[in-house]
Amino acid sequence: MLSVKNIHFAIGEAAILNGLEMSGKDGERIGIIGPNGSGKTTFFNCVSGFITPQKGEINFNGHSVIGTSPSKRASLGIGRVFQNFGIFRDMTVKENILIALESRDQNNLLSFKVSKEHLDEIDSLLNLVGLNKHLNSKAGSLSGGQLRLLEIIRLVAFRAKVYLLDEPTAGVSPKMKGQIVETLKNLIPKEALVLIIEHDISFMKDLCERIVVFDGGKCVLDGSFEEVRSDTRLQEIYFGTTN
Amino acid sequence: MDYLINLIIFSLIYVLLAGGFNISFGLGRLLNLSHVAGYAIGAYTTALLSTDYQFGFFSCLILSGIFSMLFSLIIGAISLRLSDDYFAIGSLSFSFVISALLINWKSLTRGVLGIPGIPRPDIFTFSISDNLNFLIVLSIAVFLSLFFLNSVFKGPLGRSLKAQGEYSHALEALGVSSFKIRMYSFIISSFFAGISGCFFALYLSYIDPSSFSLSEMVFVLTIVIIGQPGSLLGSSLASFFLVFLPESLRFIELDPGILGPMRQLIYAVILFSTVYTRKASLFPIKRTV
Repeated sequence: MLSVKNIHFAIGEAAILNGLEMSGKDGERIGIIGPNGSGKTTFFNCVSGFITPQKGEINFNGHSVIGTSPSKRASLGIGRVFQNFGIFRDMTVKENILIALESRDQNNLLSFKVSKEHLDEIDSLLNLVGLNKHLNSKAGSLSGGQLRLLEIIRLVAFRAKVYLLDEPTAGVSPKMKGQIVETLKNLIPKEALVLIIEHDISFMKDLCERIVVFDGGKCVLDGSFEEVRSDTRLQEIYFGTTN
Repeated sequence: MDYLINLIIFSLIYVLLAGGFNISFGLGRLLNLSHVAGYAIGAYTTALLSTDYQFGFFSCLILSGIFSMLFSLIIGAISLRLSDDYFAIGSLSFSFVISALLINWKSLTRGVLGIPGIPRPDIFTFSISDNLNFLIVLSIAVFLSLFFLNSVFKGPLGRSLKAQGEYSHALEALGVSSFKIRMYSFIISSFFAGISGCFFALYLSYIDPSSFSLSEMVFVLTIVIIGQPGSLLGSSLASFFLVFLPESLRFIELDPGILGPMRQLIYAVILFSTVYTRKASLFPIKRTV
């Protein structure tokens, strides 16, 4: 369970988050939409610990995480897919997942051998998304869609409890978009809380039972896909008019 | 023959020194400009313990590494909180502090006069006063060190370091503390700087602060850059290459006044051209959230 209360974050005079309130339960799939500059990515940065809000509370499973480092939050289970790809491009596909597995199992940093369990797990995950033939390829040689898939399965390998997915389909082909949707549906455990930032509301239809709309650093709409889509305020937020 | 042994010994000392530096800079892209200060601490630890207290070889070797590690713990706790360029400047300032201490703490270091007459203690019954024997011991130490370093490079620490050098936020998002990883690399790196300082002091039997100047740091940086950062084999071969290269100038009839600057000029040209041709991979653009 993640809850965010009255979060404020400003850069100089410019308020990015302005009293944002939101919560999500285990197993929920929540889509976050909103115009550019509405504070979506800043919200993710606050939750994952990369920036500290000037005011407000962030609670995860009943405990405040304000003031804790991003790595601490990640080890609690708050995982993140970055808008600009969080993949280590100079490393192989295998190494990218191995880092997540070794961190998850808190392997000794000076251990010299890769465990067979880890190799098997990498193999089965890559098989599921069709990346197994790229096992030893440099991640930088993958296409944009493949990088997204790799980043998602890396979080699955990490066994995150919360998935913060920042535009997971940005810059990928329509075909690959479909594969990403399927991967998100099938590989992310049912009990995990998933928050997805997307500009394409139709992408959320199959994926999210709840949509929240950000505007001006606040959550201004919250409801089911149909409720939000039919709300006249949505058009107003995006186009400044209801006509 | 003695001349060749001398060059090989110097090359191997640089293999150790640059191998340690390769962990922090080569893998983690941490431009730790205080690495040579760790080398100096190792050399002075050995010099003082073996001359004033008649410590044995292994005690000198291990304590040189440990004192250098302790130094890295102090400066790491402060400067590793800085990022990238600021870290380099911070570490450089600590290097200057050590340099100033070596020159001015005369009661301990004898200042610019240096410490002469550093003995080479026997290893049990094996004497290393002979250069060939010294070379054998150094070679074994380098072999074991490279074996350990290679394991670090290919293990979880090496992977995490490489990842933090490329995108530290993404590594943090996988539950790995960048600070902790940098600190580990810093400590291991300093240990190898310390033990290479030990071998340096024992081999020369005389040390003074001029051996641990900024130009020495630039030389180590040159070795790692030419050998390809992150490649142990590369930095090892580059150590030999850069130690042997200027020696070829000895066989050209040049005025000694030109010969000295000529060596520096060769290093500068090599460093510049390597950095120029590999600038994208040496200092990749840092990614942020």
